[in-house]
Amino acid sequence: MTKRDDAGLPRLFRLPTAKHRLRGEIERELRFHIEGRIDELVAQGYTRQQAEREVTERFGDVATVRNECEEIDTMTHRKRELGEWRAALARDLRHALRGVVHRPGFSAVVIATLALGIGATTAIYTLLDAVVLRPLAYANAESLVYINHPVPGIETNAQWRMSRAGYFFFRRTSKSLDNIAVYNQSELSLVSPDGAERVRVGRISDNFLDVVGARPLLGRAFVAADNLPNAPPVVIIGYDFWRQRFNADPGIVGRTMNLSSATYQVVGVAPPKLHLPDFQVQLWVPHELDPNAPAVNQHSYDAIARLAPGVSVAAAQAEAARLTAQLPEMFSRAYSPGFMSSSKFSVLVTPLRDIVIGGISRTLWILLGAVAIVLLIACANVANLFLVRAESRRREVALRSALGADRLQLAGHYLAESVLLALIGGVLAVGLAWAAVRFLIVLNPPSIPRLSELALGWRPMMAALALSLGAGVVFGLLPLTRLVASGGDASMLREGGRSQTASRRQLSARSTLVVAQMALAVVLLAAAGLMLRSFQRLRAVHPGLDASGLLTFELSLPWSRYGSRVPGPEGYLTVFRFHQELVRQLAALPGVTTVGMATSLAIKDGDGCALVFVKGRDLTRETAPCVGNILAGPGYFSTLGIPVRGRTPTWADMEEKNGSVVVSKAFADHMWPGEDPIGKELRPNGSGDPWYRVVGVTGDVLTRGLDQPASEIVYYPMIPRDGAPLWQAPTYVTVAIRTRADDPLSLTPAVRRIVSTMDREVPIANAQTMETIVAHSRAKTTFAMLLLAIAGGMALVLSAVGIYGVISYTVSQRRGEIGVRMALGAHAGQVGRMVVGQSLRVAGVGIAIGLAGALATTRVMQSLLFNVSPTDPATLASVTVVLVILGAAAAYAPARRATKVDPVEVLRGD
Amino acid sequence: MAAPDLDLLRGTLDLLILKTLSWGPMHGLAVLRWVEQITGQRLQITEGALYPALHRMEQKGWLGADWGYTERNREAKFYRLTAAGRRQLTAELSKWSRYTEAVNLVITAEAVR
Repeated sequence: MTKRDDAGLPRLFRLPTAKHRLRGEIERELRFHIEGRIDELVAQGYTRQQAEREVTERFGDVATVRNECEEIDTMTHRKRELGEWRAALARDLRHALRGVVHRPGFSAVVIATLALGIGATTAIYTLLDAVVLRPLAYANAESLVYINHPVPGIETNAQWRMSRAGYFFFRRTSKSLDNIAVYNQSELSLVSPDGAERVRVGRISDNFLDVVGARPLLGRAFVAADNLPNAPPVVIIGYDFWRQRFNADPGIVGRTMNLSSATYQVVGVAPPKLHLPDFQVQLWVPHELDPNAPAVNQHSYDAIARLAPGVSVAAAQAEAARLTAQLPEMFSRAYSPGFMSSSKFSVLVTPLRDIVIGGISRTLWILLGAVAIVLLIACANVANLFLVRAESRRREVALRSALGADRLQLAGHYLAESVLLALIGGVLAVGLAWAAVRFLIVLNPPSIPRLSELALGWRPMMAALALSLGAGVVFGLLPLTRLVASGGDASMLREGGRSQTASRRQLSARSTLVVAQMALAVVLLAAAGLMLRSFQRLRAVHPGLDASGLLTFELSLPWSRYGSRVPGPEGYLTVFRFHQELVRQLAALPGVTTVGMATSLAIKDGDGCALVFVKGRDLTRETAPCVGNILAGPGYFSTLGIPVRGRTPTWADMEEKNGSVVVSKAFADHMWPGEDPIGKELRPNGSGDPWYRVVGVTGDVLTRGLDQPASEIVYYPMIPRDGAPLWQAPTYVTVAIRTRADDPLSLTPAVRRIVSTMDREVPIANAQTMETIVAHSRAKTTFAMLLLAIAGGMALVLSAVGIYGVISYTVSQRRGEIGVRMALGAHAGQVGRMVVGQSLRVAGVGIAIGLAGALATTRVMQSLLFNVSPTDPATLASVTVVLVILGAAAAYAPARRATKVDPVEVLRGD
Repeated sequence: MAAPDLDLLRGTLDLLILKTLSWGPMHGLAVLRWVEQITGQRLQITEGALYPALHRMEQKGWLGADWGYTERNREAKFYRLTAAGRRQLTAELSKWSRYTEAVNLVITAEAVR
């Protein structure tokens, strides 16, 4: 009995033919049986024909037997294949585990490098996913748009919000908009027996819920009548607030609550997750919107609209522009043709999504790009490590293939190890990403919207594992392509057999990887450097005030008792007396040096402006400048540390209504260039009003953010002159307290006590230090700078490791050559220089490519930068210097090793 | 060819094959001949039962199979007992003897009063 040899077929090609083979074998087996039987009978004297008939009769249906056997054999075959596969897998895994454990250094470096690279990428991807990629939390959010009015004629980049008249006009006439609603972020004081607290309020038009596609959970939505002036106050409770504050009381509808000293009736409960765009709402109240009131040129409403089905943003924009052009004929008083042309009043329809995630989208994509670069650099390092491993395993591979291992088996063998390492790295990466996301949530960078939605979801997690799996496969196959090509090379088995050409090729592959690494590092470091310079520049910007030792908080007096709907002298006086007393009491607190207050600390985009007419100038409503106005109390400038030339109005000035006014330097320079503004006169709004006299000029305060130019501001007194219809009484103020206390926030409880003693229905809100406010203004830059610096640092370290590895390897490869050189009289210095020179050449090529890359790509960062050109030569030069030093430093140790080569030993050894 | 006078009892085929192969590797026809010869043609196994049984036992790992050549140089599939098959044989044998003992007890029993 001899073994039948069917190993001639490559394993790979056996599978598809298995069925064919099995059938053939059964056929042969049965034929042998039948022929044997026939021979038997013929020997007994039967004729061949008789014998055949007899055998067939006895056997029965051959096909049935054959099919039955075939079925069994197919199953057998399958089981066997599975068993073999499992055994091979177990063997490879065992081998891989042994490899991982036996080479802890190699394994740790690979795992850590991959974990860092993939972890950082996953964390940023999670952030991007939560903030940018996931749709807004509204039904069919992609058809929601935001509408506002650019007024480039008044100020470049200035955008006014919607006006009341404009809202009703659009709602009535637009065909491309399904519906349009207006809203505002607001706050009210919720007064309960325990005291008063500030709650976040969404003021909305009746159709807001319709527009965002929401329906109240309980009760009703607002109706048009709720928006009318003097409508009975009603409120819809936000879902979370309802659950937390009212224990999800299903009987809440119909009850009343005291909001800022007015009684509101609860008419409904909002559905879960309903908020204003990027503002977490606790209570919803109707806006006061009178469709019959005369149109005024006042733009204070955020407008959100839903596009009609099938209408594009561009089509809606075109229609909105047509409608806006009709405003002068509709409302000739508020929108005179002169105003329209001088302000270049226009309209802009933007997808809501762009408004909410606005600038941060670009920042996050750039950061994702940065961590992806880190990941690439990390992968280059790991690839390099695997190439070295492959080199050291050439003999092993040759041996294995000489012993009959085929390519698939070899691949399985090496893949098992690389995939195992990569997956361990991937799992660690997920952990790392989780930690990073927790850290981000704790850090709570104020520049990022939707952070409340941030959590490490399964999508980024799966992406991380898939990434590591892919990396594992690539790293496993990478060296294999080369190894298998030379796998059958039996010369490898000879003692000391080392194919010089293969090593050269290896070396060039590794050098290429390092060049790529260096190039990527240059791009990343250039980006980080540019951010760092922006940050420095931004830090160097003086905000115009002294932020240290300042506590600020906001305060809102209920209109029902302090203000009046029509601003009149009494309303102003009640508010004025409250403020005066408050300042007196706060100033008496221990550690407090001065106290000041104003209607606002900051003029923000969209806050609108008021016309200013200057005496002696021929200014009309069309040509008068429109500037920010703040009602400032005495002590405001000295408390904030804003320098003032001249003087500032006192409480007495204000009570006398003598019309003393202070203007900012930017305004003075604009209106009276080269003249002394003190003593000049101005008046707000139109003609015939009493004049105000400028008594002081203040330094500019960068109220719109440190990266924005200073606003022109007129600081009016807290009480207007008689006959000057100056807005409403300042019931809403920001108070600033300068203290000697180390932590200004420590004053908060005392402040709260004083305010609640004066009026227990008045809470304080947003108590924070001025330093925090200033830091927020730098937050976006700080955030991007911090993360890019971390990424840049990682890139630097990884590249250093990469170039060190290659140079180190080269030195060990060239020991023989170095030995010969030294034997021929080369100095240690020359040898060292040669090694360092090689490192610098590799680094140089990388840096050159990287600089070209940086020049081509840093442009995308333009909007993140502040006073720095994206191709800032100083930054690029510093990056070059850093990497040249890195290249030299990485070669130092290998160079020293090279100089220690003993020529005698080397020459003898060869 | 004489007709057999005994039908094969259910469950005994495996035992017969295992025992037969315990003498050495055989092809299917040899197994058949061996059983017929030993029993003097009284016990006959049909091909329709034998081959599926052989293949099933191969799947269970009791039998191994190799292609080889007979003395007359014909190619045939030879079955042999594996270690697992040997263990199975021992188990089946003891089961069989317990079974026959029990059956014997019943059919040879005197009436019990």
